[in-house]
Amino acid sequence: MSDVLEVRDLCLRFRGYSGMSEVLHGISLNVRAGERVALVGESGSGKSVTARIVLGLLQELPSAQVDGGLFFEGEDLNRLSRRQWQALRGTSISMIFQDPTSSLNPVFTIGTQFAEVLRRRDPKLSREAADERAGTLLQSVSIHDHARVLSAYPFQLSGGMNQRVVIAMALANHPSLLIADEPGTALDVTVQAQTLKLMHDLVERSGTAVLFISHNLGVVREFADRVFVIYRGRIVEQGPTPAIFEDPGHAYTRALMAAVPRITGGGLPELNDSESAFLDPMVVHEGGKA
Amino acid sequence: MSAVLRLLSRRLGISLIVLVGVSMLIFGIARVIPGDPARIALGPNATEEQVANLREALHLNDPVVVQYGYFVADLLQGDLGVSLYTNRPVTLDIAQFLPATLELVLFAGVLMVGIGLPLGMWSARYRGRWPDHLIRVVSLLGVSAPSFVWAVILMLLFAFFLPIFPIAGRITDSFEITRVTGFLLVDTLLAGNGAAFADVLWHIILPAFALAVSGIGQAARLTRANMVETYDRPYVEMAQAYGFSARRIAAKYAFKPSLIPSLTIIGLDFAAMLGNAFLVEAVFAWPGLSRYGVAVILRKDLNAIIGTVLIISATFLIVNLIVDLLIAFLNPRIRHSERGVS
Repeated sequence: MSDVLEVRDLCLRFRGYSGMSEVLHGISLNVRAGERVALVGESGSGKSVTARIVLGLLQELPSAQVDGGLFFEGEDLNRLSRRQWQALRGTSISMIFQDPTSSLNPVFTIGTQFAEVLRRRDPKLSREAADERAGTLLQSVSIHDHARVLSAYPFQLSGGMNQRVVIAMALANHPSLLIADEPGTALDVTVQAQTLKLMHDLVERSGTAVLFISHNLGVVREFADRVFVIYRGRIVEQGPTPAIFEDPGHAYTRALMAAVPRITGGGLPELNDSESAFLDPMVVHEGGKA
Repeated sequence: MSAVLRLLSRRLGISLIVLVGVSMLIFGIARVIPGDPARIALGPNATEEQVANLREALHLNDPVVVQYGYFVADLLQGDLGVSLYTNRPVTLDIAQFLPATLELVLFAGVLMVGIGLPLGMWSARYRGRWPDHLIRVVSLLGVSAPSFVWAVILMLLFAFFLPIFPIAGRITDSFEITRVTGFLLVDTLLAGNGAAFADVLWHIILPAFALAVSGIGQAARLTRANMVETYDRPYVEMAQAYGFSARRIAAKYAFKPSLIPSLTIIGLDFAAMLGNAFLVEAVFAWPGLSRYGVAVILRKDLNAIIGTVLIISATFLIVNLIVDLLIAFLNPRIRHSERGVS
């Protein structure tokens, strides 16, 4: 299967007052067509910046220096002009953010924002046609009173409702890659589970590849086909989800799994590995690399 | 829209209370200023008896509370009394001078919003780059000098050294315009006199700009600050992630949420121009209410002082009311809230 996204030896440095500081030390990962790939790690490990580099957003910061290969559907993203890269955003690549309510603009109705998203693919779309399309899309995320939702402001809807809206928006233009940056972390666990299930079904049906960024191993196990574990700007383990969960090879992956709270209780986990082992070389599970 | 109606009636009620308070305050203050109004009005050659008669006629010998009672009774009939300075009813004086000031201030307000907001928007879009630095310097220059200094500088530069604009007045005397509204920009249009309209526009640009300069700077800085904050919000990042163009984000998706906090201050700035207008009016010999106000204060012309202050306060309150309504219109949270704003 061909790669929708390939990231090769990606480095990110920030220019600060005390010189350069390297945040990503050569990350390589790939997402195949229709595949759901998770990038898992703790806060500050470099998950979210990776997503923003793929979108070309971080490159616009004057203080950021990005090196490494980025290929989307075989095309070298680094050779695109800013305008060409921008043209991919919202059409072929879309993104879902952590908190649905704050990622929608508070002073415009859902309908206005939805129309703007649909016009990324179809610039001449009239508002009536946009509302109709949006209505159909909202139905697909189980919102049935779509007329009310489209004329509502984000603060008038619940977090779960906004999350459905955001999912519908993200898939509206049939992207081939969806980047989901800790989707629904700001929501109740039950609502989060519902909306993730919804998203899972939708991407499966449409064959959209997903780069799923999370710190939540439970969610990742349910959602992803393959997992990349990232720690301090390095990939430390990669492989198919079952292989990693059954036999975590890297000390950091084991620590991350031990940190998942268990319903049987038991307080803070005992770690058998020392922290220096977290910097061990990468563990690759069979079938992990294309 | 019932929330907006509730807001409106509530604010109108508060405005009325404020006006009553202002009238009492200014009524008291005007009487504390040293000097006998009757003596000033009649001049040094009047006899003691004439002064005493005038004092009696003006109820100046009664207690202040009783005097205030007379004032309110007259006011309710639309009578602000007679000015000792012009010897005409104060209402007539105000009707003559107020439109000139309002026209100047409104025009300056349009300049403030029309130049200040786009500058701020631009500055925020290019934050940290050269357009931002340039606008910062220009804005600080505008804010740091008072409007009468700008009035003098602008007059020297563009009316004296480079005689592009007229140096004083509202209109060239040779134009005969029937005054309908008192706003010459409107009256010349009503008369269908294009040349006169251009002439009035030519006269108003320098004083209005002088009056607006600090407001422009402040509006630009404020809009920039609020927008830079908005640019860090997740919804702007989402707009970027969906490939909305930088121009569209600046002009719409980052601008509108930022406008709401800016507007309150801009409204206050706008109202403050009413006060600043008298210095600019003095420099440009603008026949407005502010100049009249200064003249009557110097002569301790009680009726005229109170009339002028009341009208300016009322205008101030109306401007604030309009700004509040505008905010309610822009901010869906207020428009859709059940209780309105407190």
